[in-house]
Parts: sequence; C-alpha cells; structure tokens
Amino acid sequence: MGIFQRFNSQFKEILHDSELLFILAKRDISVRYKQTYLGVGWAIVRPVLTMLVFLFAFKNVAKIQDLSGYPIQLVIFSGILFWNLFATTFQSVSNSIIVNGNLISKVYFPRLIICLSSIAVSLIDFLVGLVVYIILAFALGQSISIHIFLLPLALILTLLSSLGFGILFASFSVKYRDLLQIIPLVVQYGFFVTPIVYTSQSLIGSKWFIYYSIINPLAGLVEFFRYSLLVKYHLFNPQILWISVASTLFIFSLSLFVFHKREDSFVDHL
Amino acid sequence: MSIIYNMQVIDVSSVSKKYKVYKNPGPISLKNGLKEVFSKKSNQEFWAINDVSFSLSAGDKLGIVGNNGAGKSTLLKILSRITKPTTGSISVQGKVASLLEVGTGFHPELTGRENIFLNGAILGMKKSEITAQFDEIVDFAGEQIIRFLDTPVKRYSSGMYVRLGFAIAAHLNPEILIIDEVLAVGDADFQKKSLGKMKEVASREKTILFVSHNLTAVANLCNKTLHLEKGRVKAFGDTGQILTSYMAALQNNVFEHQYERPEIAPGNDIIRLKYAKLHPRLHEDQSYWDIRHAFNIELEFWNLGSTSNLNVSLHVYASTGECIFNVGSGSLSCRYGLIRASLEVPGHYLNDGNYVVSFMVVKDKSIILHNFEEIFNFEIADFREDTTWYGKWPGYVRPSFSFPIEQISETI
Repeated sequence: MGIFQRFNSQFKEILHDSELLFILAKRDISVRYKQTYLGVGWAIVRPVLTMLVFLFAFKNVAKIQDLSGYPIQLVIFSGILFWNLFATTFQSVSNSIIVNGNLISKVYFPRLIICLSSIAVSLIDFLVGLVVYIILAFALGQSISIHIFLLPLALILTLLSSLGFGILFASFSVKYRDLLQIIPLVVQYGFFVTPIVYTSQSLIGSKWFIYYSIINPLAGLVEFFRYSLLVKYHLFNPQILWISVASTLFIFSLSLFVFHKREDSFVDHL
Repeated sequence: MSIIYNMQVIDVSSVSKKYKVYKNPGPISLKNGLKEVFSKKSNQEFWAINDVSFSLSAGDKLGIVGNNGAGKSTLLKILSRITKPTTGSISVQGKVASLLEVGTGFHPELTGRENIFLNGAILGMKKSEITAQFDEIVDFAGEQIIRFLDTPVKRYSSGMYVRLGFAIAAHLNPEILIIDEVLAVGDADFQKKSLGKMKEVASREKTILFVSHNLTAVANLCNKTLHLEKGRVKAFGDTGQILTSYMAALQNNVFEHQYERPEIAPGNDIIRLKYAKLHPRLHEDQSYWDIRHAFNIELEFWNLGSTSNLNVSLHVYASTGECIFNVGSGSLSCRYGLIRASLEVPGHYLNDGNYVVSFMVVKDKSIILHNFEEIFNFEIADFREDTTWYGKWPGYVRPSFSFPIEQISETI
C-alpha cells in the first residue's frame, strides 16, 4: 500500500471511530472541570492575570510603549489568547500518548484519536477567552473587526501547527522521555520570540524578518489572528501568512508521516 | 449460515515478535538512544512469539494455554492489533473486541454512568448500542451499582468496579472476542453470572480466543486449544487431545532423577542422591494429575559416612515460596551404603497449583547433613464436578472432608 492509501484508510478509521474521539474529548473536559472549584472560570482568570502582569511590567516598570497604535490591552490579550491556545494544545498533544498509555496498551483504536481528542480542553478555554476579549474590546471603546469571519481559519491554522509540533513530540517522547523536558522550554521561549505581548511592528523593518517568519510560523499566524479581531489591523502581511501556512502544512504532514511510522512501536515502550 | 461457518475468520501465518532486552529496563534516555544509534553494539534480543501459525473458522472457541512466559499475552496483543508482529502476517475478518483487562479506561473522577459510555466506546461500542443496552448493563452489574450510578467510580469498592467493568464487557457484541483471564473476577456469585453470560455468548456463532490458566474452564468453553511453549506452538488442535498431552508433558519432565555412581551425584562427602522419583497415582483412563490423585515420593541416597542416626525431612512449598507442609521420616541407624525412604501423600489434599519439593537428610534429628533443594517442581490441575463456578479455588489445601447437609424439617 502506498503512503497515501494508508493515510486514507487511517482517516476512514478515525471517521469510523469519531464517537470515541468525542467521548475522549468529553472525558478530558468533564474531568478538568470536576477537579476544580472555579471550573471554567480558570479560562478567564488565567489570560486576564497574564495580561495584567504584562501591563504592569510595560507601563510601570520597563516603561515600554508599543508603537503600533492599537490599545495595548487588546494587543496583549489577543496575543495571549492565541499563545495559550497554541501552547496548551501543543503540551497536551505531546503528552497524550504517555498519559493514555494504559488505554494504548490494552485496546486497539487508531492512535491518532488520542492526539486529536486532547485538544478539546484548550479549545473550550479558548472560546471562553474569546468572549472575554470581546467584552474587553467593547469596554475599551473598540469594536470587533469585520474580518472576524477569518477567525475560524486562523483557529484551524493554529490548531494544525500545534498538532504538528505536538504529534512530532508525542511520536518521539514515548521512546525518548528526555524530550518531555524540552516541551516547557519551547513554550516559555516561544512566548518571547513570537509577537505575543508585542506586535511585529518593530520586526518588520529588519532584513532577517523573512527568515524569522520561515523559522517561526507562529509569527505570521498571530498577526493573522489579530487581523481577524482588531479593527483595521495593518500589521497583517498576506505574504508572511503564506509562508506560515506553507510551513504549518509541512510540519503537520511531516508529523502525520512520523507518527504513522512510529505508532506501532508505542506499546513496546509504554 | 453454513458457508460463513466454514470460512476462516482468523489466519495467523508465521507470526513472530521480537523484543529488545535493554540492560536498564524502562524508558530510554536520549543519551542511550544516541549511543545505540552511533555504536553498533546491539542489545540482546528476545523472541516472545516465534513462528506461530494457526487458523480458526467462524464459531471456533480457542483456548490458549502454556506456562508463564510462553507468549500467551503477547499473542493476544498481536491478535488485538495492540502491537504489530515483527514478521509474519495475521488476517482477521470481522469486528473484534478484546478484553485484556476489566474496566479499561475507567476514569476515577467520572461517575459510573459516564464510565459506562466511556468504556463502551473504548471497547468499540456505538453510543446507540450502549444507550439501547444501558439498563441491561446496569441490571447485570447489580443493585449496588444502581444506587451509585452517579457517584464517581473512585468511591467504588474494588468489587463494584470490577462488576461494572464486566457488565459492560458482557454486553459487547463483536464477531470475534479476545479474552485474557477476565473470568477470574468478582465474588463467587458474580462469577457464576459472568460464566453464564460467557456461555450464552459462546453458544452464538461467535469466535472466541481465551487465555487461561484454568484448564477446567478451557475444557468447558473451548473446542480448540493452542499450546504455546517458549513462544512457539507446541500443539494445536482439539481441546481434549491438547489438554491431555499438555498436562502429560507438564508432568513428565523432571519426575525422576537417577545417578549411577556417587561421584556424579548431587550431595556432599557424607550424603549423595542416587534416586528420586515422584509418582502421581492417576486414576485409570486419566492422563493428567489433578487434585483427586494421591502421589508417592521415593528417595534413595548413599550414606558415605559412618554409622549414624539419620532421618529425612521433606518440605513442599507453594510457588509463592510458602511452606505448605514439612514431614519427617522415622529415624534409622544407618550404616555405610544405600538408604531408601518413601512417602505417600493422599489425594484431595493439595489444591491445584504449582509446588516445589525439597528434602534434607538430618543426623540425630538436629544436624542437617545435606539439603537437596527443589528436587521436584510439579503442577496439579483442578478438577470440579457439578459446578458452574470456574474461579480459582482458594487455599493451599483442598480437602474433601465429609460435610453433609440435610433438611431437618419443613416448618419454621
């Protein structure tokens, strides 16, 4: 069987077991909220607190000003919303195979279902955060961009990139547990080298910006994401987005390929 | 249905599974992984399953037997598609459900109700199937579960947990069912119910693969048996025939030791073993040793020392290492030469299981001259009549004391 036929048959298997995918997602969501008193409230508290910390740091300590001209609260909050979605899905997908090791060593089902179902919790958090963003925007006298119809596309691209990186880590970390130590570092450093709490305004002029965008597809994605939320956001560059889309799709397909090559050996290392 | 009945639903052809034996077991660090890539030094290999072939028709019930480490669990994992064989191929036609554990994927934080849907989906049931059978599942699991249906299963007793798990599994409706010893769960009452359900399932035209240490259960449920030994197929065929030779092979191996001359015999300067024999007294037309049979142990040893008061002290240990009993022979003033001691252990005495025999030669009832350790290693099979319960019979001994029961009156 060719690789495409195999992908095709695997895709069909996942479709066939889509009920399992949803019930595993539901499991993660209900377990998450059963264990905490604040429940879904955490999806509000976390991004708001992060935003306040950076506002404090920028305004009162470092005296940094973002020169893009957009309300700094919205720049930071939209960035954090984007980053939390990427980072939490990336982390949960990376750990998903090991966390669900007991299932994998006792029952057969398409292994990719485990990776796919583990994005559910982050997705709920994101949707809650989005509502908070909209409230915040109106509170600051701003409205929502007419480009909001592009938000689902931005969301899908973000999920594809976090799935891509996550599946790659998941594929190797079952055997090489050292990789699990790298994940928090990726999340921590990525937060600062991507325009999350700042915009790409100050980067655009640089000669290396194009190379930077190739290496870090998230830079283009986050600005696309802001473009769909902030009114008349001028830092969105379609060319950079195409670069991001290309590298996201590349990483995602690579991850599927690697996962497919390695999934049969998972159970031997769990 | 006769055409389908004759179809081969499972075809396993020269399947092998290799595992690497790492010096430091457990997850591999990146450092060792890189070392492995750069140095060509290969790890030790171990074939858990080696060139296994067999095929089953629809409706066959296969029992898989063999010692610990024979590869039974690995084979089930390959058949369930949990792990891929290193070489060889399997073809399986039809919907498969495998039960390698009761309550796979139960989440302690979720309620019994939520876990029914979760576990059912994991085992391959559609949501509509679970909904349709929900009441039956809960009924089967028992009254206690009904009351705690909306309680997280972390508050369940282990018995309730297992009952709920089995109840879900019992309502699976696959064409092929793969089971690993899950019968041995729950209390006697629940086991009886489970076995009834198993038999009901078995009576449909379903293909079942069943791993068990319990030969009585295999004999009752399975028409075919696969005997694995060190990862290879030792025998495959009709259950009756295979079980007979399996037990016979199991028991014939090391039941006799004989040494021609003292120089080559185990022992020391004073005592050397000449002959040791363990001889189960099987009933006629019976080819393997079960709990009903008495057995004899005969020992002959050379006394190479001077005349002294000797006796033999014999220990029988369970496979867990606990001593079941210790008996001493009478004491005898033995001169230089050959001494014999013999012992008879009655039937209906030891329970089914694996046992080890050791004996020592003692001087003046206090000085151990030599301890012959693990002279025999044997297994006694289970035997039951008129029972629908196939769980492990508890205890190390299995007496059949007279224990009459009678109705004294018909009024209160």
